[in-house]
Amino acid sequence: MIVEFILLVLKAAIPAGTPLLFGTLGEVTAERSGVLNLGVEGMMIVGAVTAFGVTYTTGNIWLGLAAAALAGSLLALVHAFASITLRVNQVVSGLALTMLGLGVSGLVGKRFIGMPPRTRLAPLTLPGLSDLPVIGPLFFRYDPMVYLAIILALVLWFMMYKTRWGITLRSVGESPATADALGVPVFRVRYLAVLFGGLMAGLGGAYLSVVYTTAWIEGMTAGAGWIVIALTIFAMWDPVRAMLGAYLFGGVRVLQYRLQPLGISPNLLNMLPFIFTILVLMLSTGEVIRRRVGAPAALMQPYTREER
Amino acid sequence: MLKDKKLVWTIIILLLAAIPLSACAPQATPTPAAPAPVKEVTRLVEVTRVAPAPERKLKAGFIYVGPIGDYGWSHAHNEGRLYVENKFPWLETIYAEAVPEADVERFLDRFIVEEKCDVVFTTSFGFMDGTIAAANKYPDKIFFHCSGFKRAPNAGTYMADFYQIYYLNGLMAGALTKTGKVGYVAAHPIPEVVRHINAFTLGVREVNPKATVDVRWLFSWYDPAKAREAAEALIAAGCDTLAFTEDSPTVLQVGQEYTQKGQQIYTFSHYSPMEKFGPDSCVSGQLVDWGILYEDMLTKVYLGIYTNKNLENVDYWWLLREGAVKLGGSFEHPINPKFADALKAVKVTDPLLGQLNVYDLVMKRMEQMKDPAMLFDPFTGPIKDQNGVERVKAGQRLSIGELLSIDWFVEGNIGTIPR
Repeated sequence: MIVEFILLVLKAAIPAGTPLLFGTLGEVTAERSGVLNLGVEGMMIVGAVTAFGVTYTTGNIWLGLAAAALAGSLLALVHAFASITLRVNQVVSGLALTMLGLGVSGLVGKRFIGMPPRTRLAPLTLPGLSDLPVIGPLFFRYDPMVYLAIILALVLWFMMYKTRWGITLRSVGESPATADALGVPVFRVRYLAVLFGGLMAGLGGAYLSVVYTTAWIEGMTAGAGWIVIALTIFAMWDPVRAMLGAYLFGGVRVLQYRLQPLGISPNLLNMLPFIFTILVLMLSTGEVIRRRVGAPAALMQPYTREER
Repeated sequence: MLKDKKLVWTIIILLLAAIPLSACAPQATPTPAAPAPVKEVTRLVEVTRVAPAPERKLKAGFIYVGPIGDYGWSHAHNEGRLYVENKFPWLETIYAEAVPEADVERFLDRFIVEEKCDVVFTTSFGFMDGTIAAANKYPDKIFFHCSGFKRAPNAGTYMADFYQIYYLNGLMAGALTKTGKVGYVAAHPIPEVVRHINAFTLGVREVNPKATVDVRWLFSWYDPAKAREAAEALIAAGCDTLAFTEDSPTVLQVGQEYTQKGQQIYTFSHYSPMEKFGPDSCVSGQLVDWGILYEDMLTKVYLGIYTNKNLENVDYWWLLREGAVKLGGSFEHPINPKFADALKAVKVTDPLLGQLNVYDLVMKRMEQMKDPAMLFDPFTGPIKDQNGVERVKAGQRLSIGELLSIDWFVEGNIGTIPR
């Protein structure tokens, strides 16, 4: 009974955490390059409306996902230009992006309200594997996007820590001046990292509108972008830890409705994700952990060559 | 080190500050400057001449709690607003969407002082105290508050209530459930939602006395992701029939997904015609027509029947017989034809109606409730609460006041009402 309950929660937690995972992977990459982007919520919602609009118009879900990735990175380009080239305050620019995204998506999305989805992403069935007793439903019956997110997390981790490309990215985030002196194209790296962040946030939003809930509803990200920002810190800028964080968060979300019949106050359960966020932020700032890994040293610092 | 810590705290503060911000970016339509109101001239002498169409204009403001794109409550109110705006050339309307409940007074001030509205409609239970405060502050303006119970000489209340429809849906849910477990995804624990859950459960248990209704609270009027998680939790707990109060079609979509996978889940749509989101899962649902309510109220204000002095007892409580609410998941049919045979196959015996199938029972009950004399009401005793205590005596009906403040679950509900 208990085991079954845990399995059911786990099974629901992974799709629930997937949009967060996409967003967090993007934000981890952007912050690793030294650019904080608080516009995740805006990029996610624009991704959501674009994915739904394109999927609805063309009937092709993959086209919708691609368009969402493009839309997310276009929005991120605004932030990149403002914060890298113009060197404006990253917090302000990011917040502006969120508001812009929420507004634009509402405007564009008006005509898609109440439209039923034309197509759905079928869960992947791997012959043999999906039919295994416990492991089958737990690991091998999700939609392809869930697996894409996991693969991306692993690939990103490998690239970040095991390749030259990763050292380049991290060095730009730690000490752009040194990296520049070594011939690393700081601006280009930062631009690419921020654009990638937008791309992933766009996919995260798209997951919400065409895979998870399959409808466009205004404001449907409902704060997911902000949870991503917290998860980035929880993950300590590590893609694999981001996976852990996102699924944990998905689990906390899913759990609240499953614990209600046990007589635990729903008000209390409803606070769980937020208590969890604050707890996570407090824990990950703890001295012991931070002595080992911290935020990229040059995070939020615009880079100028003249100041070298 | 120090910088890192600063960053983290900055982000924590930003997070806390930005979450409510992001959830509620209020918008209002830009409105052209209102023409100066022309005073109405009462013609006493020229009786024979046809009076020219009065040039007097009325400006009405609407305050919504959710975005009008929610495809639920606020969307339906906005449809009503568009209906009256298109119908009456003398009417000008403006609206504000996604208004936080605590913030309504500021919006009311703006609508009255800057936008010069003559009438303001506030459309959420949580706007009640703010609306009454504004009514006292601006005694020469007219206010209408939806779903509340406080009134003033210049503030009336109105509601198109669904409890009869929920009861009808309950009859169908009771007939269709195979597991005997029905689920209900509920928004906030307020009397309106409790009343609807109770009406639904009364319907379920009339057809299927052993069935239970398991309630999960979202604490949100509108959150598609939460609704999905709650619906899946209910299905995991063994429910095969789901009703809900939340402003998105998510629960239907979940039902449709499971149905396509081969596990039939029956769902009931809420507020808007959502059947298209779950054509194989949606049995029926509730539909509303706020337009006819707004039409009635605004016409009476325009004609001077309602003034800023006589609204103390104006309380619209429109149900099936007024045509403000309808049964169905789509405007085309009250019951999805796909499920008609299944409903006709279930027979029940009613002390008055004799033996009949559930499809006919639903139609019969609807007819009785549409009757001007309201021949039937679901809240007719004997009704016991969750603890088996008799709350309504045999033959008695709950009054409107009791329905508006109901805070107990009827027998058959699983779960509690959080306080």
